[in-house]
Amino acid sequence: MKEFIAILKNELVKTIKRPRSFIGFGVVAFICLILQAAFYNDGREILSLVTGQLENSLSIEGNILNGNLVCFVLLQTLIIQMPLLVALVTGDLVSGEVANGTMRFLLTRPASRTKILVAKWLAGMFYTLLLLIFLGVLALFLSRALFGVNDLIYVNSEALTVLKANDLNWRFAGAFVIAFLSLSVVATLAHFLSTVLDNSITPIVSTMAIVIIFTIIGMFDMPSFNVIQPFLFTTHMISWKDMFEDPIPKQEIIKSCIILFAHIVLLLGSAVYIFNRKDINS
Amino acid sequence: MKRITTILIAIILSTSLYAQEANDLISAVNKKFASVNDYKARVLMKFALPGIKINTLGGKVYYKKPNKLRIRAKGIFFVPRDNPMKDIPKLLANTSSFTAIITGYETVQGKKCAVVNVIPLDPNLELIIGKFWISTKEPLIYLSEITTKENGTIRTQNFYGQYAKLGLPDKILIQIEMKKFKVPKMLAMDVKKTSKKKEVASKKTGEIYLLMSDYKVNTKLPNSVFTEK
Repeated sequence: MKEFIAILKNELVKTIKRPRSFIGFGVVAFICLILQAAFYNDGREILSLVTGQLENSLSIEGNILNGNLVCFVLLQTLIIQMPLLVALVTGDLVSGEVANGTMRFLLTRPASRTKILVAKWLAGMFYTLLLLIFLGVLALFLSRALFGVNDLIYVNSEALTVLKANDLNWRFAGAFVIAFLSLSVVATLAHFLSTVLDNSITPIVSTMAIVIIFTIIGMFDMPSFNVIQPFLFTTHMISWKDMFEDPIPKQEIIKSCIILFAHIVLLLGSAVYIFNRKDINS
Repeated sequence: MKRITTILIAIILSTSLYAQEANDLISAVNKKFASVNDYKARVLMKFALPGIKINTLGGKVYYKKPNKLRIRAKGIFFVPRDNPMKDIPKLLANTSSFTAIITGYETVQGKKCAVVNVIPLDPNLELIIGKFWISTKEPLIYLSEITTKENGTIRTQNFYGQYAKLGLPDKILIQIEMKKFKVPKMLAMDVKKTSKKKEVASKKTGEIYLLMSDYKVNTKLPNSVFTEK
């Protein structure tokens, strides 16, 4: 166990110290700040797209453009980009070392291949979690500080729902947990491809290609696509939004979480299986 | 010829009598409104608006003559764009600006009411017609329908209780004509939902139910109540 912890520590330090790890934080900070600035200046105009048709007969009282809404929009925007940022780091964890020739050196340690691979995967998970916490701090707390706290207007194709401000903290917490699970699938997929492929860039690009293809298939409401949509992890990656439905579709959320978790187990299990049988030649 | 003249005279006389009675009823209502310069009260708002889900919300309502009205509550909520709570007293106060006529009698909430139509003299006004169901026994408006050029018809039912002597209702049911609320697809936040759930807001009449209590009347409300954030 001590040995595993030592490897894990080493992997965590390596992951965090790599320059590309900071790209993710930089991108998240940049997008958050630029969107917050845009909302600060033009938010009311943007919101009038939704509220305009209501305001023919009703007048909306209260601050709609508040921190909770800005946070929701930021999450909605960034969760689409985050897989790329996660894959950028986790897609290189194994293949990068193979390509650099440091993997052979790493495998000379007494720890089993499984432990080494799991330590790398955990380091990837830790990075994903850090990135998400960073997003949470910027998106939720900074937005609340800048725009104030009020009810959240959540719009879906069925209705416009007003969620009470005091009913939102646990919803955001749940949304972040589901978002973490979703990004963990992407991280595990990138980690799996990184185990299979020896090139440093290919796993990253392949992960993104898979995410993009699955997302496009999931977007179209066509009978032939509808059959496969429930099995695509990208369909369940947006389950975090269900936390803002009223009432919350618990069964759907649980089902999505199980499917996402199953993907993680399957991908990690496959990665371990392949890595244990892989010839590391460089 | 004599018969036609008699019928015409009868019609003119009855019309002017109805108009006189209508004006008397409105004057009595105005007299009741006149006793209230301002008020504040607790309000519980319930909403049944097509395409909108919003929970019951508590707050406070402030009114000051001639037409200052503000509902303050913690959170986001909806009120009619043309709020009858402030518009009706102002509309009826200026009796020289409209023609009023009784078009019949109906029973509302078990009370015999005269149906008074109010037509503005100025055709450029936003108001097209106002219909008021005023009790013949006490000068209280039980039901009103205000039709405007922009916002269609707003129907308001007043339910009176312990504040009836001041003309203030305990419960108000406001029914608004709403345009079908369509969520722009790019803004809908549930991309994974398929088309089966897209029958948005077939109902087109929205209802806002206000339960008023704890009225404080003529407390000399400062104007700042209506402007401050």
